[in-house]
Amino acid sequence: MAEGKTTKYWKSWKEGPGASPLVQISRDEFPEPLDRPAEQFSRRSFLKAVGFTAAVATAGAGCSHAPVEKAIPYLIQPEEIIPGVSYFYATTCGGCSAGCGVLAKNRDSRPIKLEGNSEHPISRGGLCAIGQASLLDLYDSHRLKEPRLDGKVASWEEVDREIIARLAEIRKSVGSVRFLSGTILSPTLNAQIKKFLGQFNDGRHIVYDALSSSAILDAHQETHGQRLLPHFRFDKADVIASFDADFLGTWISPVEFTRDYAAGRRLDTKPLRMSYHAQFESRLSVTGAKADRRVRVSPQELGESMVRLASRLARFAGAPFPLTVNDSASVQDAVLEDLAKKLWQARGRSLVVCGVQDVGLQVLANYMNELLENYGSTVDVARPSLQKGGNDRELQALLDELKGGKVAALFLYGVNPVYSLPHGPQFAEWIKQVPLAVSFADRLDETSAVARFVCPDHHALESWSDAEPVLGHISLFQPAIHPLGRTRAALESFAIWGGQPKTAYDAVRDYWRENIFPRIRGAADFQSFWDRSVEAGFAVVSADPPKTTKFRTTALRDVAKTTVASDKFSLVLYPKVAMLDGRHTENPWLQELPDPISKVTWDNYACFSPRAAQRLGLEEGDVVRVETDAQIGSSPALELPIFIQPGQHDQIIAVALGYGSKGTERFSDIGPKWLFARPDVGEDGRIGKNASPLLSFEDGTLQYIREGVSIRKTGKRHTLASTQTHQSLTLPGNVPLLGGKQREIVRETTLPVLVADAKSPSSEPSKANGLWPPDHPYTGHKWAMAIDLTACTGCSSCVVACQAENNISVVGKDEVVRHREMHWMRIDRYYSGQEDVDVVHHPMLCQQCDNAPCETVCPVLATVHSAEGLNQQIYNRCVGTRYCANNCPYKTRRFNWFNYMREDHLQNLALNPDVTVRSRGVMEKCTFCVQRIEAARIEARRHDKPIADGQIQTACQQSCPAQAIVFGDLNDPSSRVAKLAQDRRRFGVLEEFNFRPSVNYLALVRNREGAEEKGKESQNHG
Amino acid sequence: MSRRVVVGVFAEEGGLLGVTRAARAQGLKVIDAYTPYPVHGLDSAMGLRPSRLPWVCFLAAIAGAALKLWFEFWTTMVDWPLNVGGKPWNSLPAFVPVTFEVMVLSAGLTTVFAFLVLARLWPGKRPVLVSHGITDDRFVLVLEESNAQFDLDRVRKLLEKFGAVRVEERLEEA
Amino acid sequence: MADFVLPAQQSLIAGNKTPADVTRDICHSLEGRPTPLWWGGFLVAFSLLLLGGAAVTYEVATGIGTWGVNRTVGWAVGITCFVFWIGIGHAGTLISAILFLLRQRWRTSVNRSAEAMTIFAVMCAGVFPMIHLGRPWMAYWLFPYPNTRGSLWVNFRSPLVWDAFAIGTYFTISLVFWYLGLIPDLATVRDRLCCGFRHKLASLLSLGWNGSFRTWHRYESVYLMLAGLATPLVLSVHTIVSWDFATGIIPGWHATIFPPYFVAGAIFSGVAMVLTLVLVARKTMRLEDYITIRHIDVMCKLLLLTSGIVGIAYATEFFTALYSTGPFEEFAFLNRAFGPFGWSYGIMVSCNVLVPQLLWFRKVRSNLWMVFPISILINVGMWFERFVIIVTSLHRDFLPSSWTNYRPTPIEISMLLGSFGLFFTLFLLFCRLLPVVAMAEVKGVLHVGHERRVELPATPPSFPSVEELEAVGAGTARGGLG
Repeated sequence: MAEGKTTKYWKSWKEGPGASPLVQISRDEFPEPLDRPAEQFSRRSFLKAVGFTAAVATAGAGCSHAPVEKAIPYLIQPEEIIPGVSYFYATTCGGCSAGCGVLAKNRDSRPIKLEGNSEHPISRGGLCAIGQASLLDLYDSHRLKEPRLDGKVASWEEVDREIIARLAEIRKSVGSVRFLSGTILSPTLNAQIKKFLGQFNDGRHIVYDALSSSAILDAHQETHGQRLLPHFRFDKADVIASFDADFLGTWISPVEFTRDYAAGRRLDTKPLRMSYHAQFESRLSVTGAKADRRVRVSPQELGESMVRLASRLARFAGAPFPLTVNDSASVQDAVLEDLAKKLWQARGRSLVVCGVQDVGLQVLANYMNELLENYGSTVDVARPSLQKGGNDRELQALLDELKGGKVAALFLYGVNPVYSLPHGPQFAEWIKQVPLAVSFADRLDETSAVARFVCPDHHALESWSDAEPVLGHISLFQPAIHPLGRTRAALESFAIWGGQPKTAYDAVRDYWRENIFPRIRGAADFQSFWDRSVEAGFAVVSADPPKTTKFRTTALRDVAKTTVASDKFSLVLYPKVAMLDGRHTENPWLQELPDPISKVTWDNYACFSPRAAQRLGLEEGDVVRVETDAQIGSSPALELPIFIQPGQHDQIIAVALGYGSKGTERFSDIGPKWLFARPDVGEDGRIGKNASPLLSFEDGTLQYIREGVSIRKTGKRHTLASTQTHQSLTLPGNVPLLGGKQREIVRETTLPVLVADAKSPSSEPSKANGLWPPDHPYTGHKWAMAIDLTACTGCSSCVVACQAENNISVVGKDEVVRHREMHWMRIDRYYSGQEDVDVVHHPMLCQQCDNAPCETVCPVLATVHSAEGLNQQIYNRCVGTRYCANNCPYKTRRFNWFNYMREDHLQNLALNPDVTVRSRGVMEKCTFCVQRIEAARIEARRHDKPIADGQIQTACQQSCPAQAIVFGDLNDPSSRVAKLAQDRRRFGVLEEFNFRPSVNYLALVRNREGAEEKGKESQNHG
Repeated sequence: MSRRVVVGVFAEEGGLLGVTRAARAQGLKVIDAYTPYPVHGLDSAMGLRPSRLPWVCFLAAIAGAALKLWFEFWTTMVDWPLNVGGKPWNSLPAFVPVTFEVMVLSAGLTTVFAFLVLARLWPGKRPVLVSHGITDDRFVLVLEESNAQFDLDRVRKLLEKFGAVRVEERLEEA
Repeated sequence: MADFVLPAQQSLIAGNKTPADVTRDICHSLEGRPTPLWWGGFLVAFSLLLLGGAAVTYEVATGIGTWGVNRTVGWAVGITCFVFWIGIGHAGTLISAILFLLRQRWRTSVNRSAEAMTIFAVMCAGVFPMIHLGRPWMAYWLFPYPNTRGSLWVNFRSPLVWDAFAIGTYFTISLVFWYLGLIPDLATVRDRLCCGFRHKLASLLSLGWNGSFRTWHRYESVYLMLAGLATPLVLSVHTIVSWDFATGIIPGWHATIFPPYFVAGAIFSGVAMVLTLVLVARKTMRLEDYITIRHIDVMCKLLLLTSGIVGIAYATEFFTALYSTGPFEEFAFLNRAFGPFGWSYGIMVSCNVLVPQLLWFRKVRSNLWMVFPISILINVGMWFERFVIIVTSLHRDFLPSSWTNYRPTPIEISMLLGSFGLFFTLFLLFCRLLPVVAMAEVKGVLHVGHERRVELPATPPSFPSVEELEAVGAGTARGGLG
């Protein structure tokens, strides 16, 4: 056709009029005459236009860094939100009252993962299992979406109208207003509550922790004249004596403590040093499992041994010891003498902690710390911890008031007393009588079900707030997503009811302007301070220390000497690492997380020592009736399956709190549904049994130990879903010749031995080449991991982190019973020794063997080796022969036996878009978080520089509070992982078979005499 | 072109064997024998050369094996080389089993196919039975009336001497 | 093998049969109505088949989770059945091919049913690798075919690929071999009938066979060659199956003794199964004259031999394990015998090693009421042998943390039963549709024992005189007609 008619659109100026001959040619290569009238808008130019608009729009949009006050769906795409690219909001974990800092990983404006905030002063990068799992709660469709009035869904307007009206009445009258809450870390909220209650003649704020540390505060009231919880500094402690304080598992601030504790036990110094840790406890706790010296004592003996230890310390200090000491008890003097010496030598660098809810013992602990000059060093009262503020006396007072029907208005925030108090049912009745009972619970739990008003608060990831876990360390909450329901921040509710409506954002910001900002030294303008804080997620400000008096020895009192009949037990009620007081009971990740010690999922149970069980002729899974002797009022009883727990004292029964709560019925339909599927919940349709009725109040503190408990067999049985059925590396006795022999899977040694063979060369990875020529050299990266068993506490945060990162399914109890749990990362737990067992925690994940047995046997090449040493699993090629799993010596491969649907489809929002969701019939396993490796590679390529060591952090590594896991490039000699591969403690599991695992383990070291009997025993391991 | 043949039907393999030998000794041309089962010694009596099928079998085996072995190397080292469990590119020992199987398969199938072709057997072919009961218990010898001095009576006598139950002359379309 | 050769003077086939009798007897059982016994057997077998079919359907629709397998014990009843059935198949090929090469003429009366058994057994075996896949509909990925994924081929280093080829080849060759043997008999069937379904079928399948000896001549050499091929094939197949385990790293699998051990075991179980079937067929199809006590006696001796081999293998395994002083290896075997699955080990040893010792006694061998239960017990034992090898090795391997137990679900059990259902359904149908005894071959051995050969004097070069011919002819005629 004629040139004149057609219009040729050119792609660029050069290509068009000012085209060079060369371009001319290149254009003629692909001549595209668009014989279309010029005025008509061509497809291509339309696209160009669109592109331009979008570009301008985005450029215009995101330049300002104004904080997202309200997350709104894109009208204009903000700059930082690039579809498919993750970005992080620094905020705070709402999982418990420890106030750890987290980075909420957002993708397409929804949080998909929580990572520890490595700058945060409290957690410093770690995040516990609960923190990791709290993400799932955000997407829990069972969360209340709107306020409720008289059990019916209502609008905020109605609710507010009603409440305000009633409050007005109360203001006129002299009705008493009570605010019952768990420990509230938020200074803003506290201030607001104070202000709010101030409007009434009789307003009081009662703090009640279901897992109370009230005794510690009371003790300091007596010894230091201030009711405070000191900030324990395990990092500064060289000698730690812990009396039933599970500080690595559930006590006050486990992530922080674990981090500090591990810091004191890193064996990378010259000369080698590690802290010494003695644990006196009756049940086997995570902390006890790490102890260098663990002393099994009954709750009664515990007090005595504390007295005896104190008396010795007093002797060293030359101070008179006012208490009566009876050395009759079972604990040998040698042990206490030795410990006392160690403590005394480490004066000022030692630490005595006590987890018992007994003011007398707490005073004793303070006394010892005083003698050891630990106050001011390892026990910080100048900047005390605010993580537990519970006051059990006031709680009791409140209960009396409620009983008397004296309370006009009761606000319940972050507590579930009907469930967690010993006399819950009565409490429910009392609440019903209160004219104005308001609950802020975000789900319809036992308490909010009976409260007349339910004003659901946001999830932590939806709200603006702040938290002050330790005086002067203030951490910020910022929303990572628009509230999913019509919930409202408590801050806003109070503002409205108080008469001056204010958004949570303003409330927090204003509070910070008035109260926090002035406390910062070298203060710039508030805006920049605020921006910095929001960006960092926290601020450290000065704080005037509470006025403590000189230590009052007068507070010391004798320890009540109780003896238990031999046929009776004392009941120990303890929090589980994943479940705590049961606030996360509806979280499937946590329910399926194996308990670090018992490895049981989906249940609580009565733990007996092997001997006790033998004496009573009980098998694991037998259901027994735990009966308390007739108490004042009722004598509650509980039917529980028994679990045989080595290392536990023979005189006690340990039962976990936090189970059997309303709402766990939902898990009845969690597992796959098929012909022979068994129920995933108990007979009563719930997960486990609620043990809180067995709690009791004694001299003003909530007691977790109960004397004189008897056992009755019921003849019923209840299967416990345990992920590990064989508990030790010792071969079963019924196998002749080998029975009782050890398997050298885990290497364990003691500090003296380690120091001794410091000269000897470190065990190199076997370079033996086997049959084959080395056809596959790793020229580029060679990814590898190192796991320090000395640091690992078994806290299992890595397990949940992995689950969150890699979209790992929850399979439900029945499937776990059938040994089909899906965790890619598991923590094997082995016992050694007979009565006083030693515990080894052995994180086990795909070892990414260079000579991977799984690869050779796959018929369809669905698992092959990458050029960087990764053992890849190609899901869409897998046909599911399961040959690879059979042939995996570490049994780290997991098979999709069914289509494991999420029980709550809304929770699919938490899926990580970077990781394939596996379908039925496909094998899966740890990939070393290959998606993170790739992300880092892309990042590095973009900036055109090599991947730095530590730039890639696997999910497990990131969340590990003890920093036990190191990942990196083995080919980079300067990388940490390469250095650790040369470490003297290094060993590979089953190395002798020349699988060439890419995971190096560092032997577990216990700080005890090699000569010690235990030491010898543990020599067998490695 | 058609030819005249003499058909002798026997009830005993012995008779057939004997008469075949005798007939050939007399220079008579044995066209074929028909038996319900392979009578041992009849091949030598008829003077049949050993079949060439073993060669087919042998060649097919070699070809199949070679092809497969090449294929295995090509797929694992050339077409898409993948690191499988750190095994070397040349994993000859692992390639042997499949090679062997394919060898057997190709040899077996080829041979049988060749046999069917040579013996002109195919599904649904209409059988031409020289005599009733040939697949039951009858043994038949078919002689050609080769030339002029072919003496029918003598041949008949010969056949009957060996216990032929029936002797007839036929015009056979060849 | 010398003790399998029967003295030349004793007849293989009882009752002084003529070829015509053979034809009549064998075809009679086809042409008559099925006996109530047959119907009973068929109904039982078929209902089992239906049960199995339902189970498989459910499993494929729902997931492998419907089995009792778990993260540690990835294979169990499914693969056990696979190995078991493959083993059963072997005896068929042994009898038809190996004994053919060894000129064991007694095989003629049983080889047809033995070969049929092979084919049906391989069919049963073939089902299991298929349905035990997580995604059975992807089973074809095990074969290398050009595809749009690269092409992405298969992993020729994986024993499962070897399996796929081995089983495929084995099935094809056995089928061809079997069919080849059937052609002349089909021709016989065809010629007995004038019309009807059977006639049509026979005419179609007999390929226009006309008994020409030139064809017989080629036929024999082909048959010989197939026998020659099938012999190493059958050995290779179970060798490869054994490599599924021997190439694995699991203690209790990783053993060099496996190939011969498995082959022997296969033949052992196979012969036992042949015996079971033959004893049944003999009664139900009235074939006492063809399947005589002698045949049974010979097979019993074969059982005795293979049982011996298997027994030695068990002992050797144990010895090597203990001698190795490899802690994992030692444990695997001690655990096998004394661990949670000790009972299955007990069944295995008693059924495979102890019970067959009874066969040393001629009285036992000739007493069918003893032989029959023994043959069944042996098959039970051999099933458990595979179960022991697979499950007890897996359930307690290297890391005690992942040790588990295993309990089959009803689904698995029904599949096991279903496989037997499939097998017997096919076999009973075979009995009705095709000649269960290779007539042509039997006719070929009728004269064994009855010397009726005609001895001719060396024929003179010259044209013989009529007289001479008479002399000879007379003898022949007499012999011929006598």
